[in-house]
Amino acid sequence: MQIFLLPILPQIILAGGGLLVYLTGIRRAEKSAAGFFLALLTLAVCAAVALADIPTTHTVMGTTAYGGFSRFFILLLSGVGFLSLLLIRHYAETRSFSSDVLYGTMLFAVLGMIGVAGAEHWLVFFLNFELLSFALYLLIAVGKSRVDNYEAAIKYFIMGAVASGFLLFGIALFYAATGSLTIAPLLAPVTRVTDSYLVTLATVLILAGIGFKISLVPFHLWTPDVYQGAPAPITGFLATGAKIAVIAFLLHLAAPHATPHPIFGPILWWLAALTILVGNITALVQRRVKRLLAYSSIAQMGYLLMAILAGRELGQQAVLFYSAAYVLMDLGAFGALTLFSGGDEDLDELDDFRQLGYRSPGRAALLAVSLLSLAGLPPTAGFIGKFLIFTAALKAGYIWLALIGIAGAVVSVFYYMKVVVALYLQSQRTTRETAALEWPAVAAGTVIVTLIFWLGSLPAPLLAVIDRISQALS
Amino acid sequence: MSESFPLLSFLVFLPVFGIALLVLFGRHPERCRRLALGITGATLLLAFTTLVTYADGQTGFSRLSENATWINQLGIHYSLQADGISMLLVLLTTLLCFLCVLVSWHSVKTEVRLFHAALLLMETSVLGLFLAADLFLFYLFWELQLLPTFLIIGRWGHANRTYAALKFLLFSIAGSLPLLIALISLYLAHGFQTGIYTFSFSALRHTVLSPAAELWLFTGFVVAFAVKIPMVPIHVWLPDAHTEAPTAGSVILAGLLLKTGAYALLRFGFPLFPEMAATSLPLLVLLALIGLFYASFIAFAQTDMKRLVAYSSIGHMGLVVLGIAIWNRTTLSGAVLQMVNHGITTAALFIMVGMLDERIHSRRLADVGGLWQTMPWFSGFFLLFGLSAVGLPGLNNFVSEILILVGTFGSHPAAACFGFAAMVVTLAYVLRLIQKLLFGPAKPAGELADLNLRETFVLLPLALAVIYIGWHPQPLLNLLHEPIRMLLHPDQTLAALTVIKP
Repeated sequence: MQIFLLPILPQIILAGGGLLVYLTGIRRAEKSAAGFFLALLTLAVCAAVALADIPTTHTVMGTTAYGGFSRFFILLLSGVGFLSLLLIRHYAETRSFSSDVLYGTMLFAVLGMIGVAGAEHWLVFFLNFELLSFALYLLIAVGKSRVDNYEAAIKYFIMGAVASGFLLFGIALFYAATGSLTIAPLLAPVTRVTDSYLVTLATVLILAGIGFKISLVPFHLWTPDVYQGAPAPITGFLATGAKIAVIAFLLHLAAPHATPHPIFGPILWWLAALTILVGNITALVQRRVKRLLAYSSIAQMGYLLMAILAGRELGQQAVLFYSAAYVLMDLGAFGALTLFSGGDEDLDELDDFRQLGYRSPGRAALLAVSLLSLAGLPPTAGFIGKFLIFTAALKAGYIWLALIGIAGAVVSVFYYMKVVVALYLQSQRTTRETAALEWPAVAAGTVIVTLIFWLGSLPAPLLAVIDRISQALS
Repeated sequence: MSESFPLLSFLVFLPVFGIALLVLFGRHPERCRRLALGITGATLLLAFTTLVTYADGQTGFSRLSENATWINQLGIHYSLQADGISMLLVLLTTLLCFLCVLVSWHSVKTEVRLFHAALLLMETSVLGLFLAADLFLFYLFWELQLLPTFLIIGRWGHANRTYAALKFLLFSIAGSLPLLIALISLYLAHGFQTGIYTFSFSALRHTVLSPAAELWLFTGFVVAFAVKIPMVPIHVWLPDAHTEAPTAGSVILAGLLLKTGAYALLRFGFPLFPEMAATSLPLLVLLALIGLFYASFIAFAQTDMKRLVAYSSIGHMGLVVLGIAIWNRTTLSGAVLQMVNHGITTAALFIMVGMLDERIHSRRLADVGGLWQTMPWFSGFFLLFGLSAVGLPGLNNFVSEILILVGTFGSHPAAACFGFAAMVVTLAYVLRLIQKLLFGPAKPAGELADLNLRETFVLLPLALAVIYIGWHPQPLLNLLHEPIRMLLHPDQTLAALTVIKP
């Protein structure tokens, strides 16, 4: 039985760790240093397990995969959780919502993410999807003293409910059509299994549900409001972890070595193009940084979708690399917002960022580096990532999409630079208090900046790992 | 055939190492400036000694080439290569960066450490660009220039600096992203044909492309370079950027950044797409001449000194483009030499305008006059550089301009005639500038300090270079001889080399 359970060991660890963290809150709900460190430990162990090459079967009852691909995402998502915990620690303490609920729920959210990324069975996927969503509802609302948080949580809940509805209906149709609940690569060309109009309809519905979760256009309308209303570190957590988990699942659905599906190829093309354009253009007019970052992350999903569409080896490698890069960049950006925000409101208005480059050079550097990486300027991870995505798209023959991507990238430089301009080039306007810096946040920030530059100048090791993973999958 | 010590890498990354020193030790502004001066001085010395030591025969600089696997999965290599053209431009770069530190000694008072860090990062990216032999590495350095320039213009510039900086950034990005697409397409085409996916320039040169593909790729490359050079009509970022930048920023922009565009056109644009380059000759020549005339006319009407010099840049670079487009030995020598000369002369003019700005806090021509009476040394230098800009025989610009125009006359006499005519228009606005600044009644009333020691020290090397290149350009032309021959006849073997006499 041990060997049977080994493939889901990371999930067992996370679930166990989450429950233990909740237990630490029995006596002292505040002052939750125990919960915090336990959560960090759990994530570290989970990552270590994923890193260790345990010889085991590659699936558990045909429900969850455990190959190189899943282990990559387990590692990545544990890293997201780890860094988010480090970033949220001091922020939560200042606002007195640092409790076992926070840390435990984050662990369960990571559990849901991992389950979604590795699912091979529709019910398992749906259960983990719901677990992830519920955990995120709680997390968004956890800053209980702020009305904004509640509003954002309710909006996310409504969106989540609608998305789940679409998903469930799609899954049901799929079951009705094929009689099985094993996940088939629905976006790959038609096979005997998927050749029916019911399955096509099912895929449309499932795609809609997924589109809500990763905020593709036109399912993106909830994103700016929720990102703005949620506490900054939670926004970072959900912008990176939740989205990348679902992207991993989408990659699974797209079976990258295939030629495009006759119906879904064009649909994905349009989704990607619209997402890139709408995301970038709407971000231009934003005066609030959290909304700006929300639209920017919508656009980034467009680039990832472009890489998924490009498919084949290069597209898959591009998705894996850019997922890692995106996680770093967005956590860096939202993390910097977290670190800047004093005890009351999150730092949001663009005017409030003026001259912060000189008053708080370290944090501003974190924000600037993350934004430059998002813009795709060298020598950052974002540059290499965009390069990979465009190469994959061009190799697969999507010239127009690549040109749209380029146009979007040019536009994006403008709005990212708006923030950099405020940080370094504009004269003082407000005198907002900046928060103190604590060691967890400094550690997280340093790791993020180092990794962004490291992946940008020496991406070969990560690319080698990704190469091995995609070879194994083909 | 490479040396064991990576001299070129050391040269390229010495300024970045300098940034680390600044972060650690440069908290105090005075110390920071001295450190930066030391670093740029060391780089200058290194560049000069490298140039002098390795400039022998035809294998000289190729001993310095370096090649290391970088991103193996994509066929990207870290490879640097030097030849006469690159080393000359490298020397120019290190000299101008050294002078920039001196020029900003008193004018940059805030955030001194960040300023010098940006300057050093800029130096690395330009040096790397001139030495890169792998197209991905080249593109990385090409993009890397943008941020320090943006910062320098936007933070330490004049009144309208944010607008100018953003305009510069957006034009550059809008130009360089099509370059990325073209680069990737070339890489994929080569890989599709030969099965080898690589970004190495020497390999990609042999890609066979259909005429339509070649057209699009060439356009992608040229658009990016045309924004940088700049070619009319996408030159509109330049006047604002040069005017609003601080003196050091203008020197770097005019002296170096414009050259990167022309160098890239020379080194990569034309050799990669020879048929398309030949077809586009009429268009490029036309744009170059239009640029010359247009810039000269606009410069004549300027009331802001810096803007005037900025427009003169467009004109001089138009000549460079003319020289490159014609693509024969004489014009190419002239074009490369013009790059160097323009770097020296325009940098000097910007520096002098900056010195004037420090004294009278104005860039308007109307506010200044009769400097010959109050600042004789300043005026002497200014006259020298002004006449150099005009192309007076005996000074540096004359040599390069005459090479370009005579070389053009051989194959395109009409273009050469227009070029000569443009020289007259250039004469008009420079003489106007000289007359307004140096002669006439003295204003503002009162004493204006003449050049102090630091300023003289800055202008002296430039002045000496102007005169030296004007009277004795042969050593530089000798340096260029072999690389230009390689550009024109890239497929000749070593055996054939020994037969051909210079």
